[in-house]
Amino acid sequence: MSMRDNLSQRGVQIGFVLVAGLAWHWAVSNGKVSPLILPPLPAVWRNFVGIIVTGQFWPDLRVTLTELISAFSLACVAGCAVGYMVSRSAFAVRVFDPLLSSMYSIPAILLYPLYVLFFGIGSGSKIAIGTTIAFFPIVLSTIAGLSNVNRSLVVAARSMGASDWQMFAQVLLPAAFPVVLAGLRLGLVIALLSILGTETIASFEGVGHQIVSNAESMEIAPMFAWVFLAVLIAFTLNGIASALEARGRRGAE
Amino acid sequence: MPAAIEVKGVSQAFGALGDARRVVALESADLSIPRGELLCLIGPSGCGKSTLLNVMAGLARPTSGQVLVDGEVVRGPLPQKVAFVFQEAALFPWRTIEDNVKLGLAFQGVPTNQRNDRAREALDAVKLTSFAQHYPRQLSGGMKQRAQLARALALETDILLMDEPFAALDEQTRMVLGEDLSVLLARTGKTIVFVTHSLVEAVFLADRVAVFTARPGRIKTILEVNEPHPRQRNFMTSDKLTRMRNELYELLHDEVRRTMEINAEIMP
Amino acid sequence: MSISLTAGLPARASLRQRLGDRPGLARIGVIVLMLLFWEVWARTLGDPLFIAPPSATFVSVFGILGNGGVVKALAGAFFELLAGFAIAVTAGVALGLVLGLSRFWYGAAFPIVLMLYAIPQTTVLPLFILMLGVGAKAKIVFGITHSVFAVVLTVVAGARNIDPVLLRCARSMGASRRQILFNVVVPSVVPSLFTGMRLAMAGTLLGVLLAELYVSSAGVGFYTTQFASAFQPAKLFALIALLAAMAVILNELCRMAETRFNRWKA
Repeated sequence: MSMRDNLSQRGVQIGFVLVAGLAWHWAVSNGKVSPLILPPLPAVWRNFVGIIVTGQFWPDLRVTLTELISAFSLACVAGCAVGYMVSRSAFAVRVFDPLLSSMYSIPAILLYPLYVLFFGIGSGSKIAIGTTIAFFPIVLSTIAGLSNVNRSLVVAARSMGASDWQMFAQVLLPAAFPVVLAGLRLGLVIALLSILGTETIASFEGVGHQIVSNAESMEIAPMFAWVFLAVLIAFTLNGIASALEARGRRGAE
Repeated sequence: MPAAIEVKGVSQAFGALGDARRVVALESADLSIPRGELLCLIGPSGCGKSTLLNVMAGLARPTSGQVLVDGEVVRGPLPQKVAFVFQEAALFPWRTIEDNVKLGLAFQGVPTNQRNDRAREALDAVKLTSFAQHYPRQLSGGMKQRAQLARALALETDILLMDEPFAALDEQTRMVLGEDLSVLLARTGKTIVFVTHSLVEAVFLADRVAVFTARPGRIKTILEVNEPHPRQRNFMTSDKLTRMRNELYELLHDEVRRTMEINAEIMP
Repeated sequence: MSISLTAGLPARASLRQRLGDRPGLARIGVIVLMLLFWEVWARTLGDPLFIAPPSATFVSVFGILGNGGVVKALAGAFFELLAGFAIAVTAGVALGLVLGLSRFWYGAAFPIVLMLYAIPQTTVLPLFILMLGVGAKAKIVFGITHSVFAVVLTVVAGARNIDPVLLRCARSMGASRRQILFNVVVPSVVPSLFTGMRLAMAGTLLGVLLAELYVSSAGVGFYTTQFASAFQPAKLFALIALLAAMAVILNELCRMAETRFNRWKA
């Protein structure tokens, strides 16, 4: 690729962002789109800054983050534990792996009305759905990681007299780590997405809820501000997770 | 009669002039290949022999120099005159062997009603008739290369260029396929240029062997093997072949050593 | 001299050994066990306001299918799924081929696609509903946004991984650009396309269901809310079971198509 091509590509990308921003601005100031749908960008920015500066964002953000951390921790513990137990037997893997994969293919969001029935529309149902959805990639990648450890390493360790614990801690865990870590990262991301989603569907607090309640009261500029906040959280979380994953992979090499 | 292929001062370099990573693969190659000759190109890795073959086929443009086929300058692929056989069996995995051959004919522009017969003939020539409806993945390495050869033969070109076609096969299969190739040459009178690493293969098959130096590749010597085609089985075990093979070894040995030193510099 | 035919073998093969070769059987066993556990728990410990046993759920399925409104809601969701899927696949293939086959456009536009892909879509659901209303349109669009990226990404990967030897080979035999497109590019990319379609089906399901559940004034969302607030767990379970069955069947169809079209990939 020549230098000129590289510059043109950058040009296309910057151009895209500029055109999107300009189109937004033009559509609003010329009344092409009602400000009820697309408020002027400066208004959104003002709202966003306002939410941050006054600390108004904190209570709902705290709720969402708490739900996320609880759901993710539960999914981690359950997923890793079940994954480990299944991976100990090749037969168990053959039985459960396809079963879990099929269950994963059913959109877990369908369970949400059930969880609302059981736990109400508070944090409980969000944690439940987040745990359920994040459980699957974690358990599947744990099984995959642990059962695909290079056989010769296991045999060598066993021949040198390694105990069960030593086998787990010194051989299986380090070898399986990158795969498991990838599953954890995926679990974290979809836990966040499902929690935001269910807060949107039915909730009385949390970031997702703020988006909806602003939408319903036609406060569009604040709604966009909250959307922007949610996007920021997602990007940040994804960035942290992928940095950790890269670190983990480098350590394993 | 004009030579089938004329190579005039062909050089190939990768990377811009002045770029520290510039690599001169081939330097000023000159060859005149008469009709009906089987010429082998042999040399250490990276000496430019495959590059030269690609330039002859019109698949690559040389940095300088030119190739003439039947007196005309090569500017791109010449499907009517030149057929190319690749090292990795370039068979389309989603088509049967017979369809692969027919597709080659379609690309060349052969009318539909002729394709069936020509495909059948070619498969018969390489003895793959009973595998016509099989898929490439169902065939062994040797059979895949025979299929590729069938496709090249079906194109009925005067010139056949082969880039280490037997490299991925075991030695015994190679020997048998080499015999078959020699029989083919005697029957059809094609001009064949054949790149190989194998000393024995080169002497057994070739009318002439062009020996390349280490990078930048130049043609060091051209050996003549005066032996009529089709080559007989006893040629493989003859003293003459052994002598020529040893001569090739002497010519190549230092070039191979040099190549290893060059590579050690690149990958310290 | 008599030879004992069973010398060295255990007196009777254990259950474990007999199952050892039939994981499918074991899987069915696990599912049956889970259903039994659910049945027993629902009947003894479970609060009938919240839990219904599988037997009651099964009966309820026929009950709610008799309800015209429920059938209409299910049919509506199914239609939205198919429409969203078809549009996402068509658009995804077109965009994927352009980005995958052109080095320039890959470098220019692919990062933009990745950036859009990373935006959490559930946050823009209220906006979509505002802009497009509570009807089928918004749900179809939401289904499309959840699935088009999967198709684009897989088609781009397939297009960028066409075996270069096959391209050179076709060129050497005199193939025109059109012949190369139809005889080399398209067949090479088809397996990735079907993988993309399987992922797209999962995405469309997610998007459409999310949108349906969000809109509680009509459609599936209306009935989930109604059954839940009226404490009719059997009906709610039944509705969810029907939707789950729809999801599983569609996923299976896509998976089977994917396997069939991946056959030549050794």
